[in-house]
Amino acid sequence: MGQEFVLLISSSVFCIGACGFIIRKNPLIMFMSVELMLNSVNFLLIAYSSFLNSLDGQIFALIIMTVAAAEVVVGLAIILTIFRTRHEMDVDHINALKG
Amino acid sequence: MFASSWLILLFPLAGFIYLSWYGERISKTLVGVIGCGTIGASFLTSLVALSDLLFLPAEERVGRVEVLYQWISAANFKLDLAILVDPLSVFMFLIVTGVGFVIHVYSIGYMHDDPAYSRFFSYLNLFIFSMLVLVAAADFFFLIVGWALVGLASYLLIGFYKEKTSAVLAARKAFVMNVIGDVGMVIAAFVIFESFGTLNFIDVFAAAPGTFRINDDQILLITLLLLVGAFAKSAQLPLHTWLPDAMEGPTPVSALIHAATMVTAGVYLIARCHVLYELAPYTMYLIATVGVLTAVFAGTMGMVQYDIKRVIAYSTMSQLGYMFLAMGIGVYSLGMFHLMTHAFFKALLFLAAGSVIHALDGEQDIRKMGGLQKIMPLTHATFLIGALALAGFPLTSGYFSKEAIILSSYHEDMGNFVFWAIALITAGMTAFYIFRVYFYTFSGKSRSPGAHPHESPALMDVPLLVLAALALFGGFLGPLVDEFLAPVFGREVHHHHDGLLETIALVAGVGGIATAALLYVTGKDRVGLIKELFAPLYDLVFHKYYVDEIYDLLIVKPTKAIGAFLEEKAEKKGIDYAVDEIGFQVKEVSRGISFWQTGRVRTYALNMVAGMVIILLFVVFL
Amino acid sequence: MFDLATVFEFTRDTVIFTVGITAVLASLGVILCSSPIYCALYLISHMICLALLFLLYNAEFLAAVQIIVYAGAVMILFLFIIALLGGKKEIQENSLERSIAFTFILTLLGELYLSATVGPTQQIEGKISPEFFGTAKAIGLELYSKHLIAFELASALLLVAAVGVICLAKFSFAPLKRR
Repeated sequence: MGQEFVLLISSSVFCIGACGFIIRKNPLIMFMSVELMLNSVNFLLIAYSSFLNSLDGQIFALIIMTVAAAEVVVGLAIILTIFRTRHEMDVDHINALKG
Repeated sequence: MFASSWLILLFPLAGFIYLSWYGERISKTLVGVIGCGTIGASFLTSLVALSDLLFLPAEERVGRVEVLYQWISAANFKLDLAILVDPLSVFMFLIVTGVGFVIHVYSIGYMHDDPAYSRFFSYLNLFIFSMLVLVAAADFFFLIVGWALVGLASYLLIGFYKEKTSAVLAARKAFVMNVIGDVGMVIAAFVIFESFGTLNFIDVFAAAPGTFRINDDQILLITLLLLVGAFAKSAQLPLHTWLPDAMEGPTPVSALIHAATMVTAGVYLIARCHVLYELAPYTMYLIATVGVLTAVFAGTMGMVQYDIKRVIAYSTMSQLGYMFLAMGIGVYSLGMFHLMTHAFFKALLFLAAGSVIHALDGEQDIRKMGGLQKIMPLTHATFLIGALALAGFPLTSGYFSKEAIILSSYHEDMGNFVFWAIALITAGMTAFYIFRVYFYTFSGKSRSPGAHPHESPALMDVPLLVLAALALFGGFLGPLVDEFLAPVFGREVHHHHDGLLETIALVAGVGGIATAALLYVTGKDRVGLIKELFAPLYDLVFHKYYVDEIYDLLIVKPTKAIGAFLEEKAEKKGIDYAVDEIGFQVKEVSRGISFWQTGRVRTYALNMVAGMVIILLFVVFL
Repeated sequence: MFDLATVFEFTRDTVIFTVGITAVLASLGVILCSSPIYCALYLISHMICLALLFLLYNAEFLAAVQIIVYAGAVMILFLFIIALLGGKKEIQENSLERSIAFTFILTLLGELYLSATVGPTQQIEGKISPEFFGTAKAIGLELYSKHLIAFELASALLLVAAVGVICLAKFSFAPLKRR
């Protein structure tokens, strides 16, 4: 399969992830959407690393995975803390920074 | 070649810094030792510099610039951290540190019971340091720095008794008056830089005769602006009002301000810039006129005051008038000589007066003194010597310097009969008012029975004796001073000998003393009679010619009115309103657009995506 | 008749196509399911599909990492949290905001597709031998020589994250007072 297919798959997944982040209210699912976006970019990097015959893309993807793992762990801890203090999970109700 | 003249400045600075940081934590004895020791060391260093100059042949004594390092070098503006060592500055070093040292020693005794003892000494050291910066400066920049530092130090010292309202007000007055002078100096420095492209004394003075013709507008402007500074610092008309009020400070401060340091700065400035002034005879004439007017003006005011320190303060103004007269008629080294003898006998008078005040527990009104002759023999003797020197009694130091100036005012090319006559009258007045104080204070019976006066401690007596010796015999240094300063001024002063005029001057002085004796020793009735006779005149003089009131009416009140008006109209309705309104409108607008900030993560994400879409639109389609 | 290479190529393309489409469908499932538990399961399947794609694009090591770290550790974490907080169903209602979001997302997708038509990127030849490409050894050599600083920074990041999580979980916070 050519490069266009990779781009199509990747951008579709990215847009689906972005859409999920906007339309869902459950913070867990929003996090999953973020994971989707990160994964789509990872896929693109790896595919192009193969096309370009260079390992830099894969290293990049590896670092992104590390960052994503760290982000998920901290994010979930924050969600847990919020749930413990507020006993609800709707992100729309978390608007203490409203202007 | 002695190349460490910097030490002269560094000792007092070190003393000031040390005493301001650690003064409260060390013993009073140590404070006194450090305060005096630094000035003493500075004096010894000045002596070394003097001997160094004396070993040079006379024609090489024109001055040497000691550059520490180049401070500023920007385009065509260069400024070195440098001091100028020439006969004039060394002469001033010696007076400032020498008389300053004696006053410091005296202060150990005088201020002994003051709680702010270390603060006093750190200020004194700062004062000496500032004055040394002023006289050591090798360019107009550091001259102004020293000028302003002296103003600051005088502010701190005059307002030393900070819990006294009058002292604080006097300090403020002195500061404001001095700042008027500073402004003049700064503008003068601008004009000088514009004309010569440098601020360095040596370069400016070398270039001046080739740059300007006699009485050019520019040179008149420069000299007049410099003169504003000189008049303010040296308390000449019309900027003199701060000097009598400066008596609010402790007596050693008055001695220091009047004798050694501050007020001599104006005379020094004219002597230093004499090259410029010689190009502006009009200004010279103005200097002489103002000088002689100040002399007589201050003399009349001195005759009617009852505060012992104020009388001496007016006499300072009067003597400064003499110095300005000498400068104005071009006999610079006579002026400097009178500056020196004046430093001796005026410091002596102030310290002796301080001794009296100390003995009477702060009493300054001469009407409440009297009969101290027997109780304080040493103070009495030294005060008498100082008074004789001030009155110009033959063979005292004041005689030599003052007589020479009075004679020159008639015989020099710039002098004339009017100058001579006024100077002569003033000499008579001087003798009168100082002996009025003397008789009030020391002769007769005590007028305040409650007081128990006592002779001062030895630490205060020794400085009095030293100064008395100098005041008595300092006059014989005259020819030496003349010769020493000749390389700076380019020529020696021609000494006039005119038996008739000398006799007249002598008679005037002695006549003043005799009048005072007649009025105040024999009986009181005549004084009252004279007061009755000249009641309006007496009233005018007693109120210091209403100068303070005139200034209040002409300057202070209109300024205050303008200030009130502007506060009401410009500040409250203009600036404040604009500021308030800007803040208010920003708040309103912010409230309007803050609906974007919903506080909801999803909205923010939506905005981010929208931004991304727009950017991509540009990337893809443009 | 059928060249072996052609058959292999065709098979590979078919597999890539199928797996890719599956990945997209799985990701759609993530955002469209109401129940978080189903979302998590869809995400796991999406990640497995991606791991397969990684494998097909010569990245064995990263495929393994994807399975172990993502589908293993991270998703298990998600499932734990869901189990802890309760997988409440979410009511999905249509709103103006939602349609704006869809509009934007569709535009974005269109633009990305457009930018995908720029044509194939030129290949860099002969840098790494093909049989060696994407193995753990190659990655390791690259990582510990050229990208050492990035690697160390990533390790520091993980440490910070670990400390942060412990702080967040350990210390209890007083409930926020709402304005």
